[in-house]
Amino acid sequence: MRKVDVLVVGAGPAGCVAAWQAAAAGQLDVLCIERDRAIGAPVRCAEGVGVAGLREFLDPDGAPWVARRIRQVVFLAPDDTEARVKAGEEVAYVLDRTRFEPALADEARRAGAEFAIRTEAAAMERLNGGWKVRLEGPRGNEDVLARVVIGADGVESMIGRWAGIDTRCPSRDMESCAQYVVSNIDFDPDALYLHFADAWAPSGYAWIFPRGVGVANVGLGMLALKGDGRNARDYLDGYIERYFPHGTVTGLTVGGVIVATTLKRTVADGVMVAGDAAHMINPLSGGGIVNAMKAGRLAGRHAAAAIAEGDTSAARLQRYHDDWMALLGDDHLKYYRIKEALNKLDDAFFNRLARTINGIPIEKRTLGRIFAHALINHPALLPVAARFFV
Amino acid sequence: MPAVLAKPHQIAIVDNDLCDECGLCMPLCPPEAIHMTRKGLLVDRGTCTGCVKCIAPCPVGALEMVDA
Repeated sequence: MRKVDVLVVGAGPAGCVAAWQAAAAGQLDVLCIERDRAIGAPVRCAEGVGVAGLREFLDPDGAPWVARRIRQVVFLAPDDTEARVKAGEEVAYVLDRTRFEPALADEARRAGAEFAIRTEAAAMERLNGGWKVRLEGPRGNEDVLARVVIGADGVESMIGRWAGIDTRCPSRDMESCAQYVVSNIDFDPDALYLHFADAWAPSGYAWIFPRGVGVANVGLGMLALKGDGRNARDYLDGYIERYFPHGTVTGLTVGGVIVATTLKRTVADGVMVAGDAAHMINPLSGGGIVNAMKAGRLAGRHAAAAIAEGDTSAARLQRYHDDWMALLGDDHLKYYRIKEALNKLDDAFFNRLARTINGIPIEKRTLGRIFAHALINHPALLPVAARFFV
Repeated sequence: MPAVLAKPHQIAIVDNDLCDECGLCMPLCPPEAIHMTRKGLLVDRGTCTGCVKCIAPCPVGALEMVDA
């Protein structure tokens, strides 16, 4: 039976960075497997990412995996009032995930990690202080004995389940998402649009993320519990018909975004789960790419350190969980409370808020000032603020 | 002997023609009855309790209830 030090399951942002960091830490045998036929595809993502976290991992300047540099965030109210809220030379990026993950995998491979595509973990059991994992790939089945398994296997995670970690999520914390790639449409190609309206995306938002001039990812995330019985794709069809009736739809993707706080337990003996698999998504924005990379970095480094120390027990790996909570997990508890408060506000509130923002001179529209104005003019926001600072 | 659990009248099934294999339904399932297989998503008939929590959230309406 083949033996590896670290088996990473899933070659998304969490898995690629985990493999990269584990391999970079020393002379370890690191194998990263990916169920799909290609690393980075199919894309199941809106592909928007904030600039700050991204630069900790890869340099976007001139990179082939950048679809579009974003200079502005536009908030659209339910009545279609536009409020431009954040501007700068470099606010965010829209990625081309079909090239982004391969770039991360490149870093991991150069650090010494090995990749196997179209290969999935089918079962695992404890053996000799490690995990025996059955891999199913294009050349048949193979058992691998791993000292540490990192489950970066997404919303559909099985690694956590097999290790006895409860990865379930209540339906009130599951955003149902659908997205089309739409071309031949008119919008500001330098701006991310976030559209809040119960009619279009109950307890979520619709988005327009530019991939280029005239081409964008147009999608939405919604809570099915708050919907009218139609599914996310039906809602999206309604949105496209209303706003982009002449656009050309060239792609469809659907998926679930878990807008909860981090799993109570993300480790077991010889196992860590990271990224979407560990519910590490920002529950307010639904963004998960940078979070996944930061979690992958922690998981990879802790895997290497634990192996060097000769202790891969849950008690040792708990330091991964604690580091994650200190880095971002505790913030997600606050964001979750804000999300819950925002879900109680109605369309009329967002319409008023957009007008308030537009009353502030554009050069003075810092987020802090918007927040202060919003508080003065919209007492309904007070509970939001109170929860945030508690 | 424990009481025999009542069998659900209806259980969920996946329409694999509609399903995009996004896996959204998997963490929603209380008894973890939904599995990703090489042939697509599959609901384990013996484990599904008919709770319908997976039905509405499916982005493409690929899950439906049928008589058990």
